[in-house]
Formats: sequence, structure tokens, C-alpha cells
Amino acid sequence: MAHAIKFHPGMSLLEQHAEGTLSADIALAVAAHIDLCPHCQQLSRDITTDLACQLAQQPVKTNNTDWQQMLNDIMAQPQLPKQATTMQQQVSAQQAEPIIVNQREFILPRSLQRLAANRCKWLQLGGIATAKLPAGNDYHISLLYIDKNTEVPQHTHLGLEMTLVLAGKIVDENGEYSAGDLLINSPDDTHTPRTMADEDCLCLSVLSAPLKFKKGLTRLLNPLQQFFY
Amino acid sequence: MLKLAKVARHDRGSPPKQDTQASMSRPEITNNNWDEALTFVALQRDRSAYAELFNYFAPRLKAFGMKMFGNEQQALEMVQDTMLNVWKKAVLFDASRGCASTWIFTIARNVRFDMLRKKQSRKDDVSADDLWLNGEYPEQEADTDTSQWDTQLLMDKLAPYFTSLPPAQREIIEKVYLQEKSHQEVSDELAIPLGTVKSRIRLALDRLREALDGARN
Ligand SMILES: [Zn+2]
Repeated sequence: MAHAIKFHPGMSLLEQHAEGTLSADIALAVAAHIDLCPHCQQLSRDITTDLACQLAQQPVKTNNTDWQQMLNDIMAQPQLPKQATTMQQQVSAQQAEPIIVNQREFILPRSLQRLAANRCKWLQLGGIATAKLPAGNDYHISLLYIDKNTEVPQHTHLGLEMTLVLAGKIVDENGEYSAGDLLINSPDDTHTPRTMADEDCLCLSVLSAPLKFKKGLTRLLNPLQQFFY
Repeated sequence: MLKLAKVARHDRGSPPKQDTQASMSRPEITNNNWDEALTFVALQRDRSAYAELFNYFAPRLKAFGMKMFGNEQQALEMVQDTMLNVWKKAVLFDASRGCASTWIFTIARNVRFDMLRKKQSRKDDVSADDLWLNGEYPEQEADTDTSQWDTQLLMDKLAPYFTSLPPAQREIIEKVYLQEKSHQEVSDELAIPLGTVKSRIRLALDRLREALDGARN
């Protein structure tokens, strides 16, 4: 990648992602950032190695689970043929289909490709288009396309807002964000993002539903964790 | 567990050498040498190697499942599904990409995630395969971030932050930077893979940098 990514998820978000304890919608944004960010790819590998080692090293008490029965059941099942290795390589080599919006083609990060492939119904309003992804439980997750020279109207959602720039560039009062940058805005932040005159922008946007503002979120917004920004 | 024989430790990444004899009799599994055991399951369909893996990991996965689900039935369902995947997909394990415990952990994590999603029974939903790449990202240029540090100079500044590190990372960083032990010495001393030592050092340095900057980058 030509430029360096400046805004990364904090260490504790990366840890929760590797552990699998984030809610699916937030995990998806973190996963898409990791797809775009070699630095966080390395960190995630390290965190996973660390967690796995902790799992393997923990002392356990013997208990009365009937492991022998489970073991026999498992070994009665067939194993994959040895050719499975090459099949897996072929699958991962498949080229992704671009998505098209405003007559522009974009290749999404790997983690978003499957979900976006089935349904990318764009709703357009002026220079802005959105397509909801079928992922949200607690959050609303969508692709957001902003044409050149367009301002996003100041929004008044009540919860957390995560924006991952997928392509192009966007600026707001605090700075300039390009592909891979992950912005997290708490409810108190008001900002007015806009695109430059010569460059459009594709983002992934995660918004919390106002009524579902709860536990996981307050943890994310903890003042100790301001390094998310 | 079987008595340990003199065989290379699993963090060296070398496949078992007794290939010609292996189909007849497998060398005994060394202490925590799960990479080798898993390779035997993959190449020889070795049932006793699998049984050893199972006996070691199943109770630990159960403990992990209890922590995550809070009930025994789901924890055991996760163990069964995870260890079935280990049995079935052993041929897909590639020791050069990481150790067996990491592979098994990621399978368990994914199984657990998909179990939770299935409970909410939504089709067309986020799955573990979306969230975690099955395999490796293409090789990037080495992340020079941490190596650029003049570590000796910075350690004085950083030492006060050591206490804020998770215990496992703190232990290693103290051994390496305060007691000046080599990565291999630490690996031997704590009986953990060399790769884990390196991972924990990188994580600790990143955390220390966060603490020092007050923010990442
Ligand atoms: Zn990153």
C-alpha cells in the first residue's frame, strides 16, 4: 500500500477480535481493517499465538467427562483426503468480484466480499449512497459511498460510530483519512466529514442502534481506552 | 502422557526424521510436541497420536468453553466439534505457518462463534470465515517498527510501565530486557514455543508504545 495507515483499532479491540468476543458487527469492521493493514495482521497473529499458548498451558483438573466415548465417536468419522490441501489453495485463489456504485468499481476487503456479494442494493441521496450489509444485530452496518466534493450532513445518532475508509479519502475537523484508517466516534463527537474536490470515497460504517446502547459499548467508550481514536 | 524421548522441540519446525520407520512405529511424542503429533495424524492417519492430542486438548478446550458459554452442554458441543475438525482436517495443518496449539485454538474460536450465530438462526449472516482469514496474508515487508527502537535506551523510560503489562508478557519482557536472556533461553525455561516468546515480546513492545504515546500512532 502506498500510504501508511494512521488510525488503527486499539490493542484491546484487537485482542477481543482474536478471542472472538466482539459483537459480530464490530468484529466485521475490525476484520476489514486487518485485511487492509499489515501492521495489525502481525499483531493479530501474535495475539492469537499468545492466547493459544495460554489455552494449551492452562492446568486442568481431571473430571468425570466421558472423553473415551467422544474420542471413539470422532475417530469413527472419515478424514479429509490428502488432495484437500490443493483444493483449499484453489478456493483462496479465486478472484473477487468488484462492487459497482456510481459507475465506479471497487474490490472490497476479503472479510466483506461474501456478505456484500449477495446484496448490494444502493440507496442514493445526492452525492451519497448506502447499502446495508446483512450483519447487524446490535449495530447497523453498511457501505457508504460519498461522491467527490460532497459533505455528509451532520448526523445525530445516539451511539457509537465506526467508520473504516475502504477507498479514496475523507476529511473532517480532526484530520484526513485514507484507505485502511479506522475512525471511532463516541456519541458526544459531532463531526462533518466530507470528500475532497478530486476524490470520492467508499467507507464501511458501523452505527449502534440508539436503543441498544449497552454493556459492550460502555466498555469500548471507557476513557482509559481513548487510544481507539 | 508418553515418556519424553530426545527429539527436536516443536518450535524448530522440523518434521519428524524417522520417515522410513514412521509407518511402522511412531517415535514417542515429546513433551508438548503437538506439531509432530498432528503431522502424524495428517500423514499417517495415526490414531494413537490423535488420541494423545485429544487427551491433552479436550479438557483444556472444555475449560475454555466453560469460560465462554458458562454451561457444560455447549462447552462439550464445542469440544466435540473442534476436535472432530482437528481429526478431519489434519491434512490442512501446516506446521510452517504456526504451531498446533494455535491451529486448534482458532478452530475452537471459530466453532464457538458459529455456534452462537446459529443459535440466533440468521441466514446470510456474519460467519467465522468472514472474520478470520483461513490461512496467511501474503508476506509483507518486515514490520520494522519495533526493531527501529533503540531498545536499550528506551528500556529505562519504559520500565515503569512493565507493571501494566499482562503477566505473561511482563514475565518475558523482564527476562529478555532486564535479565538479558536470549529468546531461546526464555523458551526453554518456560517450556513455551519460541514463536510464542517472539509474539509476546512484539505485543509487549506495542503495548508499551501505547502507554508511552498515550495513543497508538
Ligand atoms: Zn492497523
